Amino acid sequence: MKTKATHSDVLTVLARADAARIKSFAETLITPLGEIDVLQSRTGLVMLPMRDTAGGATFHLGEVLVSEAHVTRDGIDGYGMRRGRDLEAAMAMALVDLARACGIETARCEAFCADEAIRQAQADRDTLRCVQATRVDMETF
Amino acid sequence: MAYVATRGGERAIEQSERLFRAELGQIDAARVAEVKQALPYLVDRVMGEASLYDEDLAALALAQTGGELYEAVLVLRAWRTTQPRLTVAAPIEQDDLFTHRRISAAFKDIPGGQVLGPTLDYSHRVLATDVLTGTPYDPPAVEPAADPAPAHQPSVSAWQAANDLVDLPKPDAATGEAIPDLTREPLLFPSKRAHTLQSLARAETGGVLALGYAAMRGYGQAHPTVNELRLAEAEIVVKHPNGTEFSAGRVKVSQAEVVSKKGERLGLGFAATLGWNEVKCISAATLDLNSKGAPKGSPTEEEFFLYHTEGVEASGFCIHFKLPHYVTFQSSLDAMRDAKATRAAEQEPAE
Repeated sequence: MKTKATHSDVLTVLARADAARIKSFAETLITPLGEIDVLQSRTGLVMLPMRDTAGGATFHLGEVLVSEAHVTRDGIDGYGMRRGRDLEAAMAMALVDLARACGIETARCEAFCADEAIRQAQADRDTLRCVQATRVDMETF
Repeated sequence: MAYVATRGGERAIEQSERLFRAELGQIDAARVAEVKQALPYLVDRVMGEASLYDEDLAALALAQTGGELYEAVLVLRAWRTTQPRLTVAAPIEQDDLFTHRRISAAFKDIPGGQVLGPTLDYSHRVLATDVLTGTPYDPPAVEPAADPAPAHQPSVSAWQAANDLVDLPKPDAATGEAIPDLTREPLLFPSKRAHTLQSLARAETGGVLALGYAAMRGYGQAHPTVNELRLAEAEIVVKHPNGTEFSAGRVKVSQAEVVSKKGERLGLGFAATLGWNEVKCISAATLDLNSKGAPKGSPTEEEFFLYHTEGVEASGFCIHFKLPHYVTFQSSLDAMRDAKATRAAEQEPAE
């Protein structure tokens, strides 16, 4: 991740972070965070619209199952939403977000996010190198 | 139409379900994981037709119904109704798609080039029968390029517009709950474009192919050429309580644009769906291309193809004919007997 990752970058990385790793890391934040309020921990649907390139309309492609967690501590929000049916992983994301927002274990949180960002970037790069192998070098006869 | 209430079949019904499930045996997490890993394109098809993206649930639906696709889609759509809608994501824009495959049959040198991605289009369709006699089939690994392909590819139609070949549409400003939604409103005709495209996105693949193929064979007004076909992943862009936008993950999507000459310009047809399903998108885009001015009752008329490609309704209507129709059928028999008796009476010589 860039040195100055935005909040949006961090949330995006946490939402794609490996479920086992983020759960394991979030466990270590529970004690330092102390008492928190859990406002939401549930599964639900996100409707996904798409732009039609022929007519310009915005239409609904379908819904995506997500897990959502919303926690607060002293009025500060921590939020997690991830694709799939894993409430613990969404809660782990919310805890990391809350810790960052509260300035708790900041260095460890940043290191975790940076490490996950590197892994995800590498996975994307590996995928795109395979995609690039299928590029047609068109020759006209 | 009339039905008759009957009793006495409870045990038979219970045992018939047991008989169906006995063939499938125990379903556990390992089987669901195996279905998900082994049949990703079938999982995609079910997610697209169910209009619900979750690979685990779609694999479970397939495992639980033994691959009876209509049942799998139905059980997934039914499960969907148990879940609250949390939000509506930001609209997916074509330029933002993380693209795995992107080809054009209309233009060779499209900006960004042609990237085949994962496909069997050019392979020999040979069954690996050795697998059945104990020799596993291990596909050769991809030899990755040194450098990655660009994650995002430009739009072919935008390039065509720059070359004065097509008119680019004005983007619709509707967002969030203002976008028309078939799951909450009836489908009325003439259909809103958002309803047409949502309906095609949820449509049953075989039905869309059958009607799209009819148009391709000549029972339509325009012959399609694939302008652009993409298999990609789209970000689910949602908002944090403080307003920050972020991606809650990616989902696989496919989209197709087909093109046909329309006077001095090119006319476009479009379709997209959740999951990777090229045949459905090309067929659906062909129906979209042909729908304007289509004769009433033709396969390319919007009302005809939207009503007849809704797989859950179509299969449900089909299987309802198995329910007892004793009253209606007896009524038909009575009418037949009456007609026969009347005709016989008329044919008797007058005294």
